[in-house]
This record gives sequence, structure tokens and C-alpha cells, in this order.
Amino acid sequence: MAAEKAPDTYGITAPYADELNDDITHWDRVGEFPHDKWKPLQRSGLFTLPFAPEYGGAGRTLTETMAALEGLGHTSRDAGLNFSASTQIVSVGIPLQAFGSEDLRGRYLPQVTSGEAITAHAITEPSHGSDVMNIRTTAVREGDEYVLNGGKMFITNAPVAGLFLLYVRTGKPGAFGLSTFLAERDTPGLTVGEPLETMGLRTSPISEVTLEDVRLPVGNRLGSEGAGFLIMDYVMKREVLFSFAVNLGEMAHRLKRVVEHATTRQQFGSAIGKNQAVAHKIADMRIAVETARKWLYDTGLKVEQGKDASLDVAATKIVVSEANQLTARHAIQIFGARGYLTGTGIERELRNATAGSIYSGTNEIQRNCIAALMGL
Amino acid sequence: MSTVTNDPIRAYIVSEFLAGEDAEDLTDDFDLIESTVVNSLGLVRLISWISETYGIPVDDIPLEPAAYRTLADIRGFVGRAAPAGV
Repeated sequence: MAAEKAPDTYGITAPYADELNDDITHWDRVGEFPHDKWKPLQRSGLFTLPFAPEYGGAGRTLTETMAALEGLGHTSRDAGLNFSASTQIVSVGIPLQAFGSEDLRGRYLPQVTSGEAITAHAITEPSHGSDVMNIRTTAVREGDEYVLNGGKMFITNAPVAGLFLLYVRTGKPGAFGLSTFLAERDTPGLTVGEPLETMGLRTSPISEVTLEDVRLPVGNRLGSEGAGFLIMDYVMKREVLFSFAVNLGEMAHRLKRVVEHATTRQQFGSAIGKNQAVAHKIADMRIAVETARKWLYDTGLKVEQGKDASLDVAATKIVVSEANQLTARHAIQIFGARGYLTGTGIERELRNATAGSIYSGTNEIQRNCIAALMGL
Repeated sequence: MSTVTNDPIRAYIVSEFLAGEDAEDLTDDFDLIESTVVNSLGLVRLISWISETYGIPVDDIPLEPAAYRTLADIRGFVGRAAPAGV
């Protein structure tokens, strides 16, 4: 499905397909992070892409990084691992490179680009999901340190992460009340909860993170005090583009598999794809995939060029997550009883796709955002 | 008065965030952060508007609170960053 002018980063994970796709059904069933599959991702260079060479990065552009993640989605049937990989790139590395001090970048970015330190960002709180303005976890400055207290929930990668970016309150509610801090896992007072069992993306571990009198040096703050919301906005744009580029690759693979099935599976004397009821579903899948592609790369280019893309990113998130759900539902219907069996991996894709309309700001919040940007 | 009416940034903030108020009441040193006149989505809209109105790439717009504290602060970075000045 890759366009002929696709960046050469698209195929970097393809040589590792066998390792990445080993025992997928088992890993989904046990719902654990497959540590051994992290290694081929490290070897592929995926984690180095958007980072500067002096920190072990490959110096690639935003859209080149998106293409590599799309390629990962096409290669790897482990959507949980794919999501964890996208989180690895965006959660700490991207803001560290853009807003971190020279000291912080030098100390931590090489660990991120090598994949040696798995990373997570802690934004969501138990009682305030997408409502980031009501974040209650606080950081109070005491001399050269900040003291952090509170709790975070649904933190992707937390059970296996070594580095955390924490978004906490340093001021009054409002656009400038949040600040961002980098913390190592073994910082006293930082406790990672047990992995939470999930419906989909079961190999991407999530848990809560609690902070009890966590003391961090002022130097661990990214950007100035109060810049947390602006940093978050910068990061979320890239999180959407990266994680949903993965979904594009997954959808393209799904479509290929469905077409193959519809042209070979015989019922009532002909291939099932000859039935309009089936063919129209596949046509709709194709439209959904191509619409997702156009939105993703159009928006990616806009962000890359420094153009304002707040509305585009929100729309892209909605379009791709809904396309992912639609194509996953259609795939099950077309595969029929086989699609319903866990062994074929078709039903798993619907469970995985369900998460997309919820994480990175629910689709309802994205629609609110679009309405607000239109002055409503 | 002419500096008030000829100031598009002031006019934008008043029309978008202070509906019903007189543009003259928003002084150059009024603290937009402390007063929470500009909320988080408002900030995203403001940055978007500045980027489009003055042709400043989003990446060149400062992502720090001090740049938005007052009208004078905003005008300051827009003046420095805008290709054609303000």
C-alpha cells in the first residue's frame, strides 16, 4: 500500500517481521509486555529516527518517522507492542529534544534513542481523564528542588518504563498552571502500580503511578515553569501523528488480508467478493484507509512545515481512529465465523482498535476542540 | 486612541475573550494569565491566530508563559518574529 514516493524509512522494521510476529496469540492472551520483541525494534533503528545525531538519533523528519511507524504497523501484528513503540518515541524523547536543557538531553536522550530506557508520560489522573486543566498532582518548589505529590492513571508503558515525564500543577488552574518534569523510575516516592488488564492493546502495559514527596531538582523541569500545557500541546500533536500512522499500516495490512480472503473464499459457487454486500464493505474499507492516509500525511506535512495544525490534528485523530474501528468491524464480518475465532487474529484487531477513540484525548474532546477553534 | 484601534492583537483578544468589553479597557500591562482571560483552548486559538495573521511558523512562537503575560509581551515577540514586522 506504500505510495511509490514513500520515504525510505517505511521498510526499516520489515526484516524483523518473524521476530515481531512470533507467538502473537499467546502474548495477547497473557497480556504481558513482550520484552524480547523490544530488541528487534532497537536493532531496526526505529527509536532513533526523529532525534539529532549527537544523541544517537538519525535526524529524520516528522513525516519520515511517520512512514517508519506506518511500516511497523504493516509489518507487526502486535498492535500493543506497536503502540508502546510509538509511545517510546514521543513521550519523553520528543519533548526532551525540543524543551530539555543541554544537560538533560545529554544524559537521557541517548538512552531513549537506543531504546535502553523505555519511556512513559504521565498526564491522565484518576478523576480527570481528558480534562488536563484540572490536573491535581502538584509540584511545590522548595529551594533548588520541587516536591511532587499526587497520582496518575492509565499510563502507557509505566510497568516497564525507566523514564517518566510528569505533567503536574505548579500554579493556578488555567493555561499556565502546569509544568513538566523528568523523573527516573527509582526516584524515591515514585511508585508504579501493577499492570491493569485491558480489552485491547494487551501487550502494551499500563498502570497507575503515584508520587509521594518525590523530590526532583529544578534542573529536571522541561521548559519554564508554567509551560506544561504548551509542551503537552506540542507533544500531543506528534503523539497523534505517530500512533495513528501505526494504525494506518495496520489498516492497510487488514485490507490486503480481507481482499485476499474475499477473492479466494468460495460460497454458493463463487468468490464471496463477487457479492455486492461484501464488495461494498471492502470498498468502504479502502475509502477509510485512503482518507486516513490523506489526513495523516497532509497534517504531518503541515506540522513539519511549522504551520498551525491544531484543528487538523484533532480531525486526523477522529478520522483515523474511526477508520480503524470501521475496518476492523468489516473484517470480522467478512471473515465470518473465522473472524470471530481468536486464533485467526481478526477479532483481536477490533479490540485493539477500540482504544484509539479513547487515548490521546477522547474523540469527544477532539470534537470540542474543533468546535472551540471554530469560535463556537 | 489610534494605538488602541490600530492594534489588531488587542482587538482580537477583546473580541475573542472579552466579549462585550471595550477595547480601551484592556491595557498593555494587564495580566492575561493572572486574570485567566485566556484559557487553555483560548491559548491554542491565540497561537493559531498569530501564526496565520503574521506568517510566523508555529515552531518560532515561544512556548513559555512569560511570552503571553501581557499584551505588551505578545506584541513584543510578534514584532521580533514576524517576517514583515507588525
